[in-house]
Order: sequence, then C-alpha cells, then structure tokens
Amino acid sequence: MQRRLGRFWNMQSMRYTIIMPVGLVSKNCTGVLELEKMSAPKRNFQIGPLKRQIVMDPNYADKTWKILEEGIHEIYNCNISGLSFEELYRNAYNMVLHKFGEKLYSGLVTTMTHHLEVISKSIEAAQGGLFLEELNRKWADHNKALQMIRDILMYMDRTFIPSTHKTPVHELGLNLWRDNIIHSAKIQTRLQDTLLDLVLRERTGEVINRGLMRNVIKMLMDLGSSVYQDDFEKHFLEVSADFYRAESQQFIECCDCGEYLKKAERRLNEEMERVSHYLDAKSEAKITSVVEKEMVESHMQRLVHMENSGLINMLVDDKYEDLGRMYSLFRRVPNGLFIIRDVMTSHIRSTGKQLVTDPERLKDPVDFVQRLLDEKDKNDKIINLAFNNDKTFQNALNSSFEYFINLNSRSPEFISLFVDDKLRKGLKGVSEEDVEIVLDKVMMLFRYLQEKDVFEKYYKQHLAKRLLSGKTVSDDAERSLIVKLKTECGYQFTSKLEGMFTDMKTSEDTMQGFYASSFAETGDGPTLAVQVLTTGSWPTQPSATCNLPAEILGVCEKFRGYYLGTHTGRRLSWQTNMGTADLKATFGRGQKHELNVSTHQMCALMLFNNADRLSYKEIEQATEIPASDLKRCLQSMACVKGKNILRKEPMSKDIAEDDAFFVNDKFSSKFYKVKIGTVVAQRESEPENQETRQRVEEDRKPQIEAAIVRIMKSRRVLDHNNIVAEVTKQLQSRFLPSPVLIKKRIESLIEREFLERDKVDRKLYRYLA
Amino acid sequence: MKAKKQGFITQDEWRRGLKALEANSLEKLQRALPALEREVMRPSNFKDFYAFAFRYSLTEERQKTLDIGSICLLLKIVLGSQFRPQVDSFTQYLQMQKEYKVLTFDQWMGFYQFCNEISFPDLNNYDDQLAWPLVLDSFVEWIRQKNN
Repeated sequence: MQRRLGRFWNMQSMRYTIIMPVGLVSKNCTGVLELEKMSAPKRNFQIGPLKRQIVMDPNYADKTWKILEEGIHEIYNCNISGLSFEELYRNAYNMVLHKFGEKLYSGLVTTMTHHLEVISKSIEAAQGGLFLEELNRKWADHNKALQMIRDILMYMDRTFIPSTHKTPVHELGLNLWRDNIIHSAKIQTRLQDTLLDLVLRERTGEVINRGLMRNVIKMLMDLGSSVYQDDFEKHFLEVSADFYRAESQQFIECCDCGEYLKKAERRLNEEMERVSHYLDAKSEAKITSVVEKEMVESHMQRLVHMENSGLINMLVDDKYEDLGRMYSLFRRVPNGLFIIRDVMTSHIRSTGKQLVTDPERLKDPVDFVQRLLDEKDKNDKIINLAFNNDKTFQNALNSSFEYFINLNSRSPEFISLFVDDKLRKGLKGVSEEDVEIVLDKVMMLFRYLQEKDVFEKYYKQHLAKRLLSGKTVSDDAERSLIVKLKTECGYQFTSKLEGMFTDMKTSEDTMQGFYASSFAETGDGPTLAVQVLTTGSWPTQPSATCNLPAEILGVCEKFRGYYLGTHTGRRLSWQTNMGTADLKATFGRGQKHELNVSTHQMCALMLFNNADRLSYKEIEQATEIPASDLKRCLQSMACVKGKNILRKEPMSKDIAEDDAFFVNDKFSSKFYKVKIGTVVAQRESEPENQETRQRVEEDRKPQIEAAIVRIMKSRRVLDHNNIVAEVTKQLQSRFLPSPVLIKKRIESLIEREFLERDKVDRKLYRYLA
Repeated sequence: MKAKKQGFITQDEWRRGLKALEANSLEKLQRALPALEREVMRPSNFKDFYAFAFRYSLTEERQKTLDIGSICLLLKIVLGSQFRPQVDSFTQYLQMQKEYKVLTFDQWMGFYQFCNEISFPDLNNYDDQLAWPLVLDSFVEWIRQKNN
C-alpha cells in the first residue's frame, strides 16, 4: 500500500506492510508497524527484526542516500506532494539496518546545513521590517521540514543515534538552525538590534506586531534557554536598565512624588504585561527587578523627602491612594518599607511632641486628649487603607505614641479628666456600643502611659467627685470602665474603686433605715442625705475645720446616733469640704430662689440670717474655714456674674481682710433654682499638681521596697544589676522606677538590716531573714 | 588593746596590750611602734583596721552612723597617707553638700573600695549603674561637673 505523504500527517493509525526493494531479498518480510500521530515523539513502537539474511549491493548505500537526499530537497522546497512517506522511511530504515547509519547521519547534516545556508541568505537579504517576518516564516518552514525529516528518519533516531550518542534529529535540526542562522555573523546582531528596537518603540508608545515578536522570541526559547538568555534576555535587561535609568532621572526632575509613583507603577505593569504577551515567563522577575531598582530603589530617599509632595505631605493630607501606591512599590525593594516607616515614625513623634508640649493645648485637658485620639485615628486609618494593616507599622505607631504621651508628666491627669468629662456629660444619650468604643479608646491611651499609678490617683479623685455629686451619666458606663481597668491591671488596681461604688449603695440603704427609724423625728429641721465613705477606699482628704450652723449640727448628731447604734466600733467624721446644701432664700424685693451651694458656702450664708454686714475676718472667725477655701467660696458668690447672691465692698476680685459682705438684695436670675457651688473635677493648679506628684513619689517608695524584699526573699542572694532589672519588670505595669530610686531604697533596706552586702563581692546583696 | 571605750584605756587593758607587744620599757615601746605601723599597713589587715576605725568611733549604744564632721577627721587619719587626693576631694564634697548629715558603715566601706578600684582623678572606670552607694554616685557627679 502506498500512501501519499501529503495526507500522511493527519492519519491516526495505520498498518504497514513493508516490501523489500528490488535487488535485495526476494522474500517478503513483514514487520508490523503501528503508528499514531507521527508528530508525537514517543509512542508504542515495535519493530520486528527481519528473519532472513540480506546480501548488500555495494552501491546500494549511495543509491539509497541519493533518494533520501532528493526527498529532503523536496521537503525544503515544500514540494511534498510527489513524495512517498513509506518509500523514504523504508530507505532510511534499510540504510541503518545495513550499517550505513553513519553515512545517513553525516549526509543529513550536510544537506540540512546546505539548505540552511541558502535560507540564511534570503533572510539577510530582507529589508527593514521584513527581516523579522522572513526569519519567522523561514523558521516555521524549517520546523515543518524538520518534523517530516524526523519522521522519515525515525528508525535511525531510535536505534543508531542513541547507540552512537549522536544528537537526535530534531535537536540536530535546531542546533543547525541556531548555528547557521541565528549565530550567523550577518544575522545575530541584526536580530538582537531589531528585537530591542521594537521593544524600545513599544515603550515609547508605538504599536508593534506582538504576534511576530512572540513567535521570534519563542523560537529563541525553543533553541535553548542559553540562546534565549545570551542572544536576547541579557541584552534586553541591560538596555531596559539604561532606558529606565534615564527615564527615571527625567521624571524625578519634573514630577512631584505622587505623579512619579504613578508613572513608575505604570511602567512596572507595562513590563509585566509585555512579558505575558511575548516573553518567557521566567523573565518577569528579572525585568521587574530592573524597573524596581532603576525607578524605585535609586530614588527612594529623594521621593520620600520631596518638598511639598513627599511622604510627610501625603501623611498630613491623608492621600490614601498615593500612600498605598508608595507602599506597594517600596515593598518590592530592599529597605523600601523601612524608609517609609522610619520617616513616618519620626514625623508622628515630632507632631506628637508638639501636641503635648504646646502650652495652648495644655489649658484644656479634654481637648488635649481629644486631639491625641484624633491623631491616633488618623494614623490608624492610613495604616488600614494604605499600608495594608502592616503589623510593623502598627508597632511603630504604638511605640511613637508611648514615647510622646509620656513626655508630658500631666498626661495621666488629663486622660482622667477626659474620662470624667465623658462620664459626666459627654456620653449623654449615646448608644451603648458607642460608649464602649469611646471607653476602649481611652483604654488604648491608658496602655501607653508609663505612670499608671498617677492615673489611678487622679481617676479616684475624679470618680469620687462624680459619685458624690451624683453626676454620672451612666452607672453601666462607669462599671464597664472599671472592668476594663481590672482586666488590664489586675484586681488590686480596681478593688478600692469598687469599694467606692459599694459605699454609695450602702449609704442609700443606710438613709432609708435612718428615716424609718425613731432617730429622724419629723419636724421643720433640714433634711439630711448622708453618704458614708469607708476611709481607704476614697481619696484621702485633709480634714478641714468648719463650724456648722446649729440647725445642721442637730440633725447631724441625730444621724450619728442612729449610725453608731447599728455599727459599733466605728468612727464618723464629717467631710465638710465635699458636701452640698440646698437653701431657700428670699431677697430684698421678695424674689425667692432655691440656691444649690457647697457646705462651706452654706455656713457663710447662714451667718447673714443674723447680720446684715459681715467683714471677711468675721466670717473667717465664725466659720473657721481655712482661708484659701473660704476666699474661693466667697468669690464664687460675690464676684461671678449671674451668681452674685452676695455683694462685696470694694467690688474688686481679690478678697482682703477688711472687705465687707452684704446679701445682694438686687440679685436676680431667670431661674428659680440657682446653682452656685461647684464640686466639679478641674485641672489642677501648679502647686496642687506638685503636691499630688509628691504624694505619688511617697507612695512609690514602699512599693519599690516591697518588690525588692519579695525578690530577695525568693532569690536569697542577687547582684545589683539583676535586682534593678527584676524590680523594674515587676513594677512596670504601674510605673517606671529609675535605677537611682531603686538604689536608694536598697540602701535604706540595708540600713534597716533587711539586706546586707556580701563581704567579699560588694555587688551582691544577701537577704537577711 | 581591745579597749572597751574610745579614748579611754583602763590600766588592765594597758598592761595586757603592752604585754602582747612585749614592751616593758619606753624604748621597747618606741621600737615596737614602727613595726605596729607596718603591720597595720599590710593590705589584708588594713581593711579590718579601716572597718574597726568606724565602729570604734561609734560612741553611743545603738549608734549606727557617724556625723559628717567625724567622718572627715577619721578619713584623714586613716586614709590620709595612702589616698591623699581622694580623701581631700571627698571631705570637701561632704562638707559642701547638704543631703547627707551622717554616713553609714556601708557607705564608709564603699569609699575604701572606691579608693582601691577607681582611678583618680579621672574616674574613667566608674560606672554609676553598678552597686556603688548613692553618696559616691553624687560625689562623682560633683567632680565631673566641677571639671566641666
């Protein structure tokens, strides 16, 4: 059966009968060949050996080769219609069988080389743009031809070539193409230049024939990765580096940071797209790193610090898109993110430092804290939207806040005042979830504080005022914050605070009991509302002298009698500086008002029931209220517009010994109830602040000593540096003790013989039981 | 002489002491003195002597500290020959500062170690992060400020 070569490549499987040519054995031999698609290299091949001896014609080899050579010619000339696959295959087969494989092989090499030389010339002759097309076309032809040739010479490929370790036909065809075309002197450089030129043109905006590029590049890849790399990729990368170096230089001179980043990003995407369209996928990493290096890495510092458009400007103006772009570009290069983080950190630190040291800001504590929160929110948003919630940036933000919040020693006080403001009025009418959000933010600031014990002191004071004046917006909110503080700092931190709440509740019950008992006789006397505070839970107040009016004293004694009747062994002392009173007053023209005043103010006012005119000195003598308190409470009744229920002569703001006070008969207010006294938490004055700080320092001494003793008790012997480290670690949730302070406490403990120094090594301390 | 009280030597104590020195005449006592001095100056003995000097000066029953005036005098006597510059400087400091009115035994011994270990007057190897008594930290700071 003879099949036409033209139809050959589309057949699935065939059975062939091989008939020996004339001149050889006359017998028919049958070998069975089963062929699937010839273009697939490794398929099931069973070639049975011939069973008879064969005698050769001496010229047989030459004649056979001639046939094959002719066949190859025709194949290269695309003249395959007249060829017979079987015949050619058979001839090749026979040559190999009769040990003429060598001749066949070398003949193949020669023939193909000759053809390739011809092809080479025609490619060289192509002008301009046609060069690549011609190359591409010829390559396609060569491949087709090579396929057919390989099919014909399949037997040699499978038997002779492996056993002689020669290059297989297909590979040979590629190598010959490579050597004779690609590496030919006239083509090699021209090819490189053409390809690189096309890339350049595309980069400058021209549209090029990508399909053609893809084919040619694929050709190089097929010829071997070293061909692709040496003949193209290497030069491509070099040229690209030069191109981007120049372009980036140009851009950086004329663009601002945001624009530059956009351009860089665009170029990067372009290159990735280029690779996906017509380059080897492995080139992607290499070309992107070229772009990253030339466009990003080389100019990082300059971009970040660019005036008016650099990183700091972007941060200040919340330019999320630009920041996000910077992040994703800088992330690709070594140290890129480090630079961003570094600049951002120092910016946050300096802004924060300004915030906390600005004297204007310090006048309003609530505003001060609000600004801190705003600053945190702003930066959180940036990290969230632009920096991919990067943990390292979060950490940098946290450490910056910790740094500058503690630069101002009044931060703990101010944060407590902020909470006080929120709990007294700021959170009025706010939903439970929103309350939680605000409290969580407060906790976040609290965590940054180094001096948490100072916060505790102020918080206690402010809470006491809130509870006693009944001015808290929500009991639940108060308790919620206590729980958060307990979770953060442990039970000890909040046990006293909880004691305060308990006292309030107990006092309610006590009052009910009092009024139900026989002690509270109904009469015209004033009604009393008492809160009994357990000393130790509440902030210590220095007890002040104060002479209560007789009517008040009476009812107070009644309460005392009742209380001590049910609670023996306790002692009660009246805290006159924390009380309030409601007075009904009638003024000169008959106006009636109900005045809400502090206890001290009440004592002063009651004096005017028995006198029209009183000098400051007289009031002081009668009430025995300490001078500074008395002056303040008189000022708030005589010198404040709208609250001037008293009149002072002279009208000056300051109070002198002989100033005279009168009831202001002309007093008027559109409200029936007038509130005068203030028991509201306020920012401390400088001297008060000093005092509190001193108390805190005093409180810290025993805490340090307790820590030292605890540590030494368990370790028995320890050296100086380790003690300092351990003590610091134990106390860090409350405050940061300085090494000097710790040393001082150690010396004090040595003096009191709790510890001793080791006799030989003076760095060691020993616990004395 | 194992005398019980500073500045007072009983007759028995006197006899006992001189017998230990084997000095029963004035000349022999005179000759014994330099040997005694040398004995005291030996480093292993000197530390004990230095410590003794402090305790010896405590006159009252439960007294644990010495006032600054006595400290300065005592230092001159005990360390004056060996560490003149340190003693002069330290006594000057003690008399000038106001924080410490007395020194404890621990601080007294600390100064001896200071003289032995710390190069003076450059103070290059002094590290205030170590276990030196605070009074010496302040002393060193005072010197450094003076030099600047």
